[in-house]
Amino acid sequence: MELVQQQKLVARLCTNREFREEFFAQPAQVAAREGLTVGAEGLAELHPEHLRQFVRLLRTRRLGSMGVALPLTRRVLGNRFVECFKLYALRPTPPGVGRVVEDAIGFVDFLRGQMGSEVLDPPWSLSLARYEAARLEAVWLGRRLVVRWLPHRIGPLLAQLAKGKVEAGNFDRPTLAIWWRGTGRGQPRHWLL
Amino acid sequence: MNGAENRVGRKTEITNLLANLPRLGVGLAYREPFREELLQKQSEVDFLEIAADDYLDATPALEAELELLAEHFTIVPHFMKLSLGSAEGLDEAYLKKVAALVKWLNPPWWSEHIGFTRAGGVTLTHPAPLPFTKDAVAVMKRNIITARRAIPTPLILENVCSQLVWPGTEMDESDFLNEVLGVGGCGLLLDVTNLFANAPSFGGDPAAFLARLPLDRVVQIHFSGGHESKGRFVDSRGQAVPEGVWQLLELAVAQAPVRSICLERDDNLPPLGEVLWELERARAIGRQHRRWN
Repeated sequence: MELVQQQKLVARLCTNREFREEFFAQPAQVAAREGLTVGAEGLAELHPEHLRQFVRLLRTRRLGSMGVALPLTRRVLGNRFVECFKLYALRPTPPGVGRVVEDAIGFVDFLRGQMGSEVLDPPWSLSLARYEAARLEAVWLGRRLVVRWLPHRIGPLLAQLAKGKVEAGNFDRPTLAIWWRGTGRGQPRHWLL
Repeated sequence: MNGAENRVGRKTEITNLLANLPRLGVGLAYREPFREELLQKQSEVDFLEIAADDYLDATPALEAELELLAEHFTIVPHFMKLSLGSAEGLDEAYLKKVAALVKWLNPPWWSEHIGFTRAGGVTLTHPAPLPFTKDAVAVMKRNIITARRAIPTPLILENVCSQLVWPGTEMDESDFLNEVLGVGGCGLLLDVTNLFANAPSFGGDPAAFLARLPLDRVVQIHFSGGHESKGRFVDSRGQAVPEGVWQLLELAVAQAPVRSICLERDDNLPPLGEVLWELERARAIGRQHRRWN
């Protein structure tokens, strides 16, 4: 039973930075407070740097999955994507965080709510991120209808990205992106208007 | 029969079980952006490994995609969140979904980790290692037996090599792995990049660490690239495979009866063509050591 408590503690240490700092300030006391009796002294000997390295590995894996889920946004934002993700990852991981796709949609919500298009370069990158997140909703979460109004010209951006690089240009015209699925199986139908 | 003979008998039985697994060759961890190119270049990839947790509760579109992939490739499901190392036990509902997916895919084997991703309502995005203790062995045994009852397909387990070492270790990692893998005839899934990245934690010599592992149980190898950060190698799976990992891969393939090698690539996904040469190089290593034709 002691291992149950130890794993609970380690899982919290890995996902909650404030709790981690509190623990390493007073490990034995916090372990005891969390209900650990026999193993408290042992866990108090956890090496802070080793745990931090593991937390960094968790973040690296999460970032990698995010790059797979949002490949175009990752490519366009480059290191800025990584910087924004690090800010996003500072927040405690919600208990029972679901699949990668839900995490990626949460990250795009964060980009939209916390970062905003004014701090992202190029300015149309947030529209691209929202487009990729909407596609995830349609394909991975199985929504029957997904509609997004995006302030940039997504079609030409996708075409240029498929060729490898976006040339300078004006992409300021809005796009209505729609995914719709009937009752059948297969990929949803998709329109950019 | 005494205890030592029992152990030898059990080991022989397991080795025979693993020896009957098919030789899959060299495959790729499937990532959706590779989809179109993969279908065009099927002959260059022997199998696909899927991040199987993402396909539980699949939408009809994803089921259709999986069906399409299964028509063209052998699919090996790789799980992360069944959490065989969870001391609080397996999530029965999750196990049922895992069993249903494995049954539907009918793979030569399925894989999970010797670690835990679930504890106290928190889900980790990557398995955390277990303490090398009798308690942890008992937890793994209990959960493996439950999983094997639900899923008769052979199970292989990936060791979680990490700098995070629990205090109170009662045995070395090799003994721990032998104890855990002995349950239900499980094979070993060895991540050589992970081993390479964590070399500093076992004296900087991954080859010496490799020699201590139960290599006769290795069924599959994972390998991937990474990057340097603050003087350390990070197995981020975001770059090409470095030479040190290739050397370790070759060493492992030379010593272990591997049935398959799988390249993992996550971040900075390049066009598929840029990773196919890595598959070809791994295939040549396997061929050189007569793991396949």
